[in-house]
Amino acid sequence: MSDHSWLDFAASYALDTLSPEERTAFEAHLADCPRCQAEVRAHREVGGLLALAVPAQSPPPGLKGRVLREAARRPAARRMGSRMSGGWLAAAALLLVAIGLGVFGWTAREGRRAAERQLARTRSDLAARDSLLGALLAPDLAWARLTTTDAAPSIRLFWSRSQGLVVLAAFRLPAAPVGRTYQLWGIAEGGAPVSVGTFNTSVDGQATATFHVDPGAEFAVSAVTEEPRGGSVQPTSAPFLVGSWQAGP
Amino acid sequence: MSRGDERALAELYDRYGAAMFGLARAITGHPSDAEEVVADAFGQAWRLAESFDSTRAGTFAWLAMLTRSRALDIVRARHRRERVEGRAARATIDGFALPVASLAALPDRHAELLDLRTRVESALSELPPEQRRVVELAYFGGLTHSEIARETATPLGTVKTRLRAAMEKLRVALAAYMDVG
Repeated sequence: MSDHSWLDFAASYALDTLSPEERTAFEAHLADCPRCQAEVRAHREVGGLLALAVPAQSPPPGLKGRVLREAARRPAARRMGSRMSGGWLAAAALLLVAIGLGVFGWTAREGRRAAERQLARTRSDLAARDSLLGALLAPDLAWARLTTTDAAPSIRLFWSRSQGLVVLAAFRLPAAPVGRTYQLWGIAEGGAPVSVGTFNTSVDGQATATFHVDPGAEFAVSAVTEEPRGGSVQPTSAPFLVGSWQAGP
Repeated sequence: MSRGDERALAELYDRYGAAMFGLARAITGHPSDAEEVVADAFGQAWRLAESFDSTRAGTFAWLAMLTRSRALDIVRARHRRERVEGRAARATIDGFALPVASLAALPDRHAELLDLRTRVESALSELPPEQRRVVELAYFGGLTHSEIARETATPLGTVKTRLRAAMEKLRVALAAYMDVG
Protein backbone atom coordinates (compact mmCIF):
# COMPACT_ATOMS: atom_id res chain seq x y z
CA MET A 1 0.00 0.00 0.00
CA SER A 2 1.39 3.40 -0.90
CA ASP A 3 1.92 5.99 1.76
CA HIS A 4 -1.04 8.03 0.55
CA SER A 5 -3.38 5.12 1.08
CA TRP A 6 -2.27 4.66 4.65
CA LEU A 7 -3.17 8.29 5.38
CA ASP A 8 -6.79 7.39 4.66
CA PHE A 9 -6.78 5.22 7.77
CA ALA A 10 -5.68 7.96 10.12
CA ALA A 11 -9.06 9.50 10.98
CA SER A 12 -10.71 6.14 11.54
CA TYR A 13 -7.82 4.96 13.64
CA ALA A 14 -8.02 8.13 15.74
CA LEU A 15 -11.69 7.40 16.45
CA ASP A 16 -11.07 3.68 16.89
CA THR A 17 -13.52 2.61 14.19
CA LEU A 18 -11.16 0.27 12.34
CA SER A 19 -11.68 -3.48 12.40
CA PRO A 20 -9.14 -5.37 14.53
CA GLU A 21 -7.28 -6.54 11.40
CA GLU A 22 -7.15 -3.05 9.91
CA ARG A 23 -6.01 -1.68 13.25
CA THR A 24 -3.18 -4.16 13.57
CA ALA A 25 -2.02 -3.49 10.03
CA PHE A 26 -2.20 0.26 10.45
CA GLU A 27 -0.37 0.22 13.78
CA ALA A 28 2.45 -1.74 12.23
CA HIS A 29 2.72 0.94 9.55
CA LEU A 30 2.26 3.77 12.04
CA ALA A 31 5.32 2.76 14.03
CA ASP A 32 7.55 3.84 11.13
CA CYS A 33 5.59 6.67 9.59
CA PRO A 34 5.90 10.14 11.15
CA ARG A 35 3.51 11.55 8.56
CA CYS A 36 0.73 9.19 9.55
CA GLN A 37 1.55 9.74 13.22
CA ALA A 38 1.01 13.46 12.68
CA GLU A 39 -2.31 12.76 10.91
CA VAL A 40 -3.47 10.58 13.77
CA ARG A 41 -2.52 13.24 16.32
CA ALA A 42 -4.47 15.88 14.43
CA HIS A 43 -7.55 13.68 14.10
CA ARG A 44 -7.35 12.74 17.77
CA GLU A 45 -7.43 16.40 18.63
CA VAL A 46 -10.47 16.96 16.42
CA GLY A 47 -12.05 13.96 18.10
CA GLY A 48 -11.33 15.42 21.49
CA LEU A 49 -12.96 18.72 20.56
CA LEU A 50 -16.10 16.86 19.42
CA ALA A 51 -16.74 16.25 23.10
CA LEU A 52 -17.97 19.84 23.12
CA ALA A 53 -20.92 18.85 20.96
CA VAL A 54 -22.72 17.62 24.05
CA PRO A 55 -23.49 19.82 27.04
CA ALA A 56 -21.39 19.78 30.19
CA GLN A 57 -23.16 18.63 33.34
CA SER A 58 -22.20 19.25 36.93
CA PRO A 59 -20.81 16.03 38.33
CA PRO A 60 -21.93 14.78 41.77
CA PRO A 61 -20.22 16.82 44.52
CA GLY A 62 -18.20 13.89 45.89
CA LEU A 63 -16.48 13.11 42.61
CA LYS A 64 -13.75 15.72 42.84
CA GLY A 65 -12.67 14.44 46.25
CA ARG A 66 -12.60 10.92 44.90
CA VAL A 67 -10.42 11.91 41.95
CA LEU A 68 -7.91 13.71 44.18
CA ARG A 69 -7.84 10.88 46.74
CA GLU A 70 -7.18 8.26 44.07
CA ALA A 71 -4.40 10.39 42.61
CA ALA A 72 -2.79 10.69 46.04
CA ARG A 73 -2.67 6.90 46.26
CA ARG A 74 -1.13 6.37 42.86
CA PRO A 75 2.25 7.38 41.46
CA ALA A 76 2.28 10.21 38.98
CA ALA A 77 4.24 10.18 35.78
CA ARG A 78 7.53 11.98 35.72
CA ARG A 79 6.77 15.64 35.00
CA MET A 80 8.75 16.46 31.90
CA GLY A 81 7.27 19.70 30.63
CA SER A 82 6.71 18.20 27.20
CA ARG A 83 3.29 17.16 25.98
CA MET A 84 1.83 13.70 25.47
CA SER A 85 2.11 14.19 21.74
CA GLY A 86 5.91 14.15 21.84
CA GLY A 87 7.73 11.09 20.47
CA TRP A 88 7.33 7.98 22.56
CA LEU A 89 10.97 7.03 22.35
CA ALA A 90 11.99 10.58 23.13
CA ALA A 91 9.89 10.43 26.30
CA ALA A 92 11.47 7.13 27.28
CA ALA A 93 14.94 8.49 26.58
CA LEU A 94 14.35 11.63 28.62
CA LEU A 95 13.01 9.60 31.52
CA LEU A 96 16.09 7.39 31.40
CA VAL A 97 18.37 10.42 31.50
CA ALA A 98 16.45 11.81 34.46
CA ILE A 99 16.78 8.51 36.29
CA GLY A 100 20.45 8.25 35.37
CA LEU A 101 21.19 11.68 36.76
CA GLY A 102 19.17 11.26 39.90
CA VAL A 103 18.78 7.78 41.20
CA PHE A 104 21.10 5.33 39.55
CA GLY A 105 24.72 5.37 40.56
CA TRP A 106 25.23 1.68 40.79
CA THR A 107 28.56 0.14 40.00
CA ALA A 108 28.62 -3.30 38.52
CA ARG A 109 29.47 -4.83 41.91
CA GLU A 110 26.69 -3.02 43.77
CA GLY A 111 24.37 -3.98 40.96
CA ARG A 112 25.30 -7.61 41.22
CA ARG A 113 24.87 -7.68 45.01
CA ALA A 114 21.48 -5.99 44.72
CA ALA A 115 20.50 -8.41 42.00
CA GLU A 116 21.55 -11.36 44.17
CA ARG A 117 19.46 -10.08 47.09
CA GLN A 118 16.51 -9.60 44.79
CA LEU A 119 17.18 -12.98 43.26
CA ALA A 120 16.96 -14.60 46.68
CA ARG A 121 13.66 -12.89 47.40
CA THR A 122 12.24 -13.71 44.01
CA ARG A 123 13.50 -17.28 44.13
CA SER A 124 11.57 -17.98 47.32
CA ASP A 125 8.42 -16.76 45.64
CA LEU A 126 8.97 -18.79 42.55
CA ALA A 127 10.47 -21.95 44.00
CA ALA A 128 7.82 -24.24 42.58
CA ARG A 129 8.33 -23.13 38.99
CA ASP A 130 11.14 -24.98 37.24
CA SER A 131 11.46 -22.84 34.17
CA LEU A 132 11.68 -19.69 36.25
CA LEU A 133 14.34 -21.19 38.48
CA GLY A 134 16.27 -22.13 35.38
CA ALA A 135 16.12 -18.55 34.15
CA LEU A 136 17.17 -17.06 37.44
CA LEU A 137 20.11 -19.39 37.86
CA ALA A 138 21.35 -18.95 34.31
CA PRO A 139 24.99 -17.95 34.01
CA ASP A 140 24.11 -15.34 31.37
CA LEU A 141 21.63 -13.56 33.62
CA ALA A 142 20.96 -9.91 32.87
CA TRP A 143 18.90 -7.70 35.11
CA ALA A 144 17.13 -4.36 35.02
CA ARG A 145 15.32 -2.23 37.50
CA LEU A 146 12.50 -0.08 36.18
CA THR A 147 11.43 2.87 38.18
CA THR A 148 10.24 6.44 38.07
CA THR A 149 12.26 8.99 39.97
CA ASP A 150 9.91 8.52 42.89
CA ALA A 151 10.25 5.54 45.22
CA ALA A 152 7.23 3.60 44.05
CA PRO A 153 6.31 1.61 42.10
CA SER A 154 9.23 -0.47 40.90
CA ILE A 155 9.77 -3.46 38.74
CA ARG A 156 12.68 -5.85 38.64
CA LEU A 157 13.38 -7.76 35.46
CA PHE A 158 15.65 -10.72 34.89
CA TRP A 159 16.54 -11.97 31.46
CA SER A 160 18.21 -15.18 30.48
CA ARG A 161 19.22 -14.78 26.86
CA SER A 162 20.14 -18.42 26.39
CA GLN A 163 16.74 -19.59 27.59
CA GLY A 164 14.84 -16.75 26.03
CA LEU A 165 13.06 -15.95 29.28
CA VAL A 166 12.28 -12.64 30.95
CA VAL A 167 11.09 -12.79 34.53
CA LEU A 168 9.29 -9.82 36.02
CA ALA A 169 8.64 -8.94 39.64
CA ALA A 170 6.59 -5.81 40.36
CA PHE A 171 6.10 -4.01 43.66
CA ARG A 172 3.79 -1.23 44.79
CA LEU A 173 2.12 -1.08 41.41
CA PRO A 174 -1.64 -0.43 41.57
CA ALA A 175 -3.81 -2.75 39.46
CA ALA A 176 -4.59 -1.43 36.00
CA PRO A 177 -8.13 -0.02 35.60
CA VAL A 178 -10.98 -2.18 34.25
CA GLY A 179 -10.40 -3.04 30.61
CA ARG A 180 -6.74 -2.05 30.80
CA THR A 181 -3.52 -3.91 31.40
CA TYR A 182 0.20 -3.26 31.76
CA GLN A 183 2.50 -4.07 28.89
CA LEU A 184 6.24 -4.61 28.97
CA TRP A 185 8.32 -3.48 26.00
CA GLY A 186 11.88 -4.16 24.96
CA ILE A 187 13.72 -1.62 22.89
CA ALA A 188 16.95 -2.33 21.01
CA GLU A 189 19.37 0.51 20.27
CA GLY A 190 17.68 2.66 17.66
CA GLY A 191 14.77 0.24 17.35
CA ALA A 192 11.04 0.49 17.81
CA PRO A 193 9.46 -0.94 20.97
CA VAL A 194 8.82 -4.68 20.82
CA SER A 195 6.16 -6.18 23.02
CA VAL A 196 7.47 -8.62 25.61
CA GLY A 197 4.09 -9.31 27.15
CA THR A 198 1.22 -8.05 29.27
CA PHE A 199 0.67 -8.43 33.01
CA ASN A 200 -1.40 -7.07 35.82
CA THR A 201 -0.93 -6.74 39.55
CA SER A 202 -3.06 -8.11 42.33
CA VAL A 203 -4.61 -5.98 45.05
CA ASP A 204 -1.38 -5.95 47.09
CA GLY A 205 0.43 -4.26 44.22
CA GLN A 206 2.66 -7.23 43.42
CA ALA A 207 3.05 -9.28 40.29
CA THR A 208 5.38 -11.95 39.03
CA ALA A 209 5.32 -13.04 35.42
CA THR A 210 7.43 -14.94 32.93
CA PHE A 211 7.71 -14.07 29.29
CA HIS A 212 9.27 -15.93 26.41
CA VAL A 213 11.44 -13.81 24.17
CA ASP A 214 13.41 -14.50 21.03
CA PRO A 215 16.80 -15.91 22.07
CA GLY A 216 18.30 -13.47 19.58
CA ALA A 217 16.52 -10.47 21.08
CA GLU A 218 18.71 -7.49 21.89
CA PHE A 219 17.14 -5.05 24.32
CA ALA A 220 18.98 -2.01 25.60
CA VAL A 221 16.02 -0.58 27.46
CA SER A 222 12.71 -1.84 28.77
CA ALA A 223 9.63 0.15 29.59
CA VAL A 224 6.10 -0.34 30.84
CA THR A 225 2.97 1.36 29.54
CA GLU A 226 -0.69 0.99 30.33
CA GLU A 227 -2.69 -0.33 27.38
CA PRO A 228 -6.15 -1.62 26.56
CA ARG A 229 -6.72 -5.19 27.81
CA GLY A 230 -5.08 -7.62 25.43
CA GLY A 231 -2.21 -5.26 24.81
CA SER A 232 -1.27 -3.18 21.80
CA VAL A 233 0.98 -3.73 18.81
CA GLN A 234 2.80 -0.50 19.61
CA PRO A 235 2.65 1.61 22.78
CA THR A 236 -0.33 3.95 22.81
CA SER A 237 0.92 6.08 25.69
CA ALA A 238 4.13 7.40 27.18
CA PRO A 239 5.98 4.92 29.39
CA PHE A 240 5.63 5.45 33.11
CA LEU A 241 8.43 3.08 34.06
CA VAL A 242 11.71 2.78 32.20
CA GLY A 243 15.03 1.11 32.84
CA SER A 244 18.15 0.03 30.99
CA TRP A 245 19.49 -3.50 30.95
CA GLN A 246 22.76 -4.27 32.72
CA ALA A 247 24.87 -7.30 32.02
CA GLY A 248 24.99 -9.81 34.86
CA PRO A 249 28.00 -11.40 36.54
CA MET B 1 3.30 13.49 44.81
CA SER B 2 4.06 17.16 44.99
CA ARG B 3 1.52 19.78 45.99
CA GLY B 4 1.99 21.54 42.69
CA ASP B 5 0.96 18.44 40.81
CA GLU B 6 -2.12 17.94 42.94
CA ARG B 7 -3.09 21.54 42.40
CA ALA B 8 -2.71 21.08 38.65
CA LEU B 9 -4.97 18.03 38.78
CA ALA B 10 -7.56 19.90 40.82
CA GLU B 11 -7.50 22.75 38.35
CA LEU B 12 -7.88 20.35 35.45
CA TYR B 13 -10.92 18.87 37.15
CA ASP B 14 -12.40 22.30 37.94
CA ARG B 15 -12.02 23.36 34.35
CA TYR B 16 -13.09 20.24 32.53
CA GLY B 17 -14.78 17.90 34.99
CA ALA B 18 -18.25 19.02 33.96
CA ALA B 19 -17.47 18.71 30.25
CA MET B 20 -16.09 15.20 30.81
CA PHE B 21 -19.07 14.21 32.93
CA GLY B 22 -21.43 15.48 30.24
CA LEU B 23 -19.54 13.49 27.60
CA ALA B 24 -19.56 10.36 29.75
CA ARG B 25 -23.31 10.70 30.35
CA ALA B 26 -23.96 11.17 26.65
CA ILE B 27 -22.06 8.00 25.77
CA THR B 28 -23.07 5.73 28.64
CA GLY B 29 -26.57 7.01 29.25
CA HIS B 30 -26.18 6.34 33.01
CA PRO B 31 -25.10 8.92 35.62
CA SER B 32 -23.48 6.28 37.84
CA ASP B 33 -21.48 4.90 34.92
CA ALA B 34 -20.53 8.46 34.00
CA GLU B 35 -19.11 8.97 37.50
CA GLU B 36 -17.01 5.82 37.18
CA VAL B 37 -15.79 6.94 33.76
CA VAL B 38 -14.74 10.40 34.94
CA ALA B 39 -12.91 8.97 37.95
CA ASP B 40 -11.11 6.47 35.68
CA ALA B 41 -10.25 9.07 33.06
CA PHE B 42 -8.80 11.59 35.52
CA GLY B 43 -6.94 8.78 37.26
CA GLN B 44 -5.47 7.71 33.96
CA ALA B 45 -4.62 11.29 33.03
CA TRP B 46 -2.82 11.60 36.34
CA ARG B 47 -0.76 8.50 35.67
CA LEU B 48 0.03 9.24 32.07
CA ALA B 49 0.37 12.99 31.68
CA GLU B 50 3.82 14.43 31.60
CA SER B 51 2.45 17.84 32.41
CA PHE B 52 -0.92 19.44 32.87
CA ASP B 53 -1.47 22.64 31.00
CA SER B 54 -5.17 23.23 31.48
CA THR B 55 -5.19 26.22 29.19
CA ARG B 56 -4.35 24.32 26.02
CA ALA B 57 -6.91 22.93 23.58
CA GLY B 58 -4.62 19.94 23.17
CA THR B 59 -4.96 19.06 26.85
CA PHE B 60 -8.76 19.23 26.69
CA ALA B 61 -8.83 17.09 23.54
CA TRP B 62 -6.50 14.51 25.04
CA LEU B 63 -8.55 14.27 28.21
CA ALA B 64 -11.78 14.04 26.20
CA MET B 65 -10.48 11.14 24.12
CA LEU B 66 -9.41 9.36 27.33
CA THR B 67 -12.88 9.93 28.76
CA ARG B 68 -14.54 8.73 25.57
CA SER B 69 -12.45 5.54 25.59
CA ARG B 70 -13.28 4.78 29.20
CA ALA B 71 -16.95 5.48 28.52
CA LEU B 72 -17.02 3.13 25.52
CA ASP B 73 -15.18 0.46 27.57
CA ILE B 74 -17.86 0.65 30.27
CA VAL B 75 -20.65 0.50 27.72
CA ARG B 76 -19.10 -2.60 26.18
CA ALA B 77 -18.27 -4.25 29.50
CA ARG B 78 -21.39 -3.53 31.51
CA HIS B 79 -24.01 -3.52 28.85
CA ARG B 80 -22.85 -6.50 26.88
CA ARG B 81 -26.38 -7.38 26.01
CA GLU B 82 -27.05 -3.98 24.56
CA ARG B 83 -26.86 -4.37 20.88
CA VAL B 84 -25.48 -1.97 18.38
CA GLU B 85 -28.97 -0.57 17.85
CA GLY B 86 -29.09 0.67 21.45
CA ARG B 87 -25.79 2.49 21.18
CA ALA B 88 -26.74 3.87 17.78
CA ALA B 89 -30.03 5.20 19.12
CA ARG B 90 -28.28 7.01 21.95
CA ALA B 91 -25.62 8.47 19.66
CA THR B 92 -27.53 11.46 18.41
CA ILE B 93 -26.26 14.97 18.99
CA ASP B 94 -29.66 16.45 18.15
CA GLY B 95 -30.96 14.96 21.35
CA PHE B 96 -28.54 17.14 23.23
CA ALA B 97 -28.75 20.26 21.14
CA LEU B 98 -29.37 23.35 23.17
CA PRO B 99 -30.35 26.79 21.95
CA VAL B 100 -27.29 29.02 21.85
CA ALA B 101 -28.68 31.32 24.52
CA SER B 102 -28.70 28.59 27.13
CA LEU B 103 -25.08 27.67 26.43
CA ALA B 104 -24.18 30.52 28.76
CA ALA B 105 -25.95 28.70 31.58
CA LEU B 106 -23.73 25.62 31.30
CA PRO B 107 -21.42 24.94 34.22
CA ASP B 108 -18.25 25.74 32.30
CA ARG B 109 -16.01 28.02 34.26
CA HIS B 110 -14.14 29.66 31.46
CA ALA B 111 -15.21 31.64 28.45
CA GLU B 112 -12.92 29.93 25.99
CA LEU B 113 -14.82 26.68 26.25
CA LEU B 114 -18.05 28.51 25.41
CA ASP B 115 -16.53 29.88 22.23
CA LEU B 116 -15.19 26.46 21.28
CA ARG B 117 -18.59 24.91 21.84
CA THR B 118 -20.29 27.20 19.40
CA ARG B 119 -17.51 26.57 16.90
CA VAL B 120 -17.86 22.81 17.19
CA GLU B 121 -21.64 22.98 16.94
CA SER B 122 -21.37 25.19 13.89
CA ALA B 123 -18.80 22.93 12.25
CA LEU B 124 -21.00 19.88 12.83
CA SER B 125 -24.10 21.62 11.49
CA GLU B 126 -22.23 22.39 8.28
CA LEU B 127 -21.66 18.72 7.55
CA PRO B 128 -24.00 16.98 5.12
CA PRO B 129 -26.50 14.98 7.25
CA GLU B 130 -25.18 11.59 6.17
CA GLN B 131 -21.62 12.57 7.14
CA ARG B 132 -22.79 13.99 10.43
CA ARG B 133 -24.64 10.76 11.21
CA VAL B 134 -21.51 8.69 10.61
CA VAL B 135 -19.54 10.93 12.97
CA GLU B 136 -22.24 10.64 15.64
CA LEU B 137 -22.29 6.86 15.42
CA ALA B 138 -18.52 6.52 15.38
CA TYR B 139 -17.81 9.06 18.07
CA PHE B 140 -20.64 8.75 20.57
CA GLY B 141 -21.72 5.21 19.80
CA GLY B 142 -18.26 3.76 19.33
CA LEU B 143 -19.50 1.80 16.33
CA THR B 144 -16.98 0.30 13.94
CA HIS B 145 -17.18 0.83 10.18
CA SER B 146 -19.06 -2.45 9.67
CA GLU B 147 -21.52 -1.69 12.44
CA ILE B 148 -22.19 1.75 10.98
CA ALA B 149 -22.66 0.21 7.54
CA ARG B 150 -25.22 -2.25 8.89
CA GLU B 151 -26.96 0.36 11.03
CA THR B 152 -27.33 2.88 8.21
CA ALA B 153 -27.77 0.30 5.43
CA THR B 154 -24.92 1.81 3.42
CA PRO B 155 -21.92 0.06 1.85
CA LEU B 156 -18.77 -0.24 3.93
CA GLY B 157 -16.72 1.78 1.46
CA THR B 158 -19.24 4.63 1.61
CA VAL B 159 -19.04 4.69 5.40
CA LYS B 160 -15.26 4.95 5.32
CA THR B 161 -15.36 7.71 2.72
CA ARG B 162 -17.97 9.68 4.65
CA LEU B 163 -16.11 9.45 7.94
CA ARG B 164 -12.85 10.53 6.35
CA ALA B 165 -14.52 13.43 4.55
CA ALA B 166 -16.35 14.53 7.69
CA MET B 167 -13.21 14.46 9.83
CA GLU B 168 -11.28 16.44 7.23
CA LYS B 169 -14.00 19.10 7.11
CA LEU B 170 -14.10 19.30 10.91
CA ARG B 171 -10.34 19.55 11.05
CA VAL B 172 -10.34 22.50 8.65
CA ALA B 173 -13.20 24.20 10.49
CA LEU B 174 -11.50 23.84 13.87
CA ALA B 175 -7.88 24.35 12.78
CA ALA B 176 -7.59 27.78 14.36
CA TYR B 177 -8.53 26.32 17.75
CA MET B 178 -6.26 23.32 17.72
CA ASP B 179 -2.84 22.84 19.26
CA VAL B 180 -1.63 20.31 16.72
CA GLY B 181 -3.33 21.72 13.62
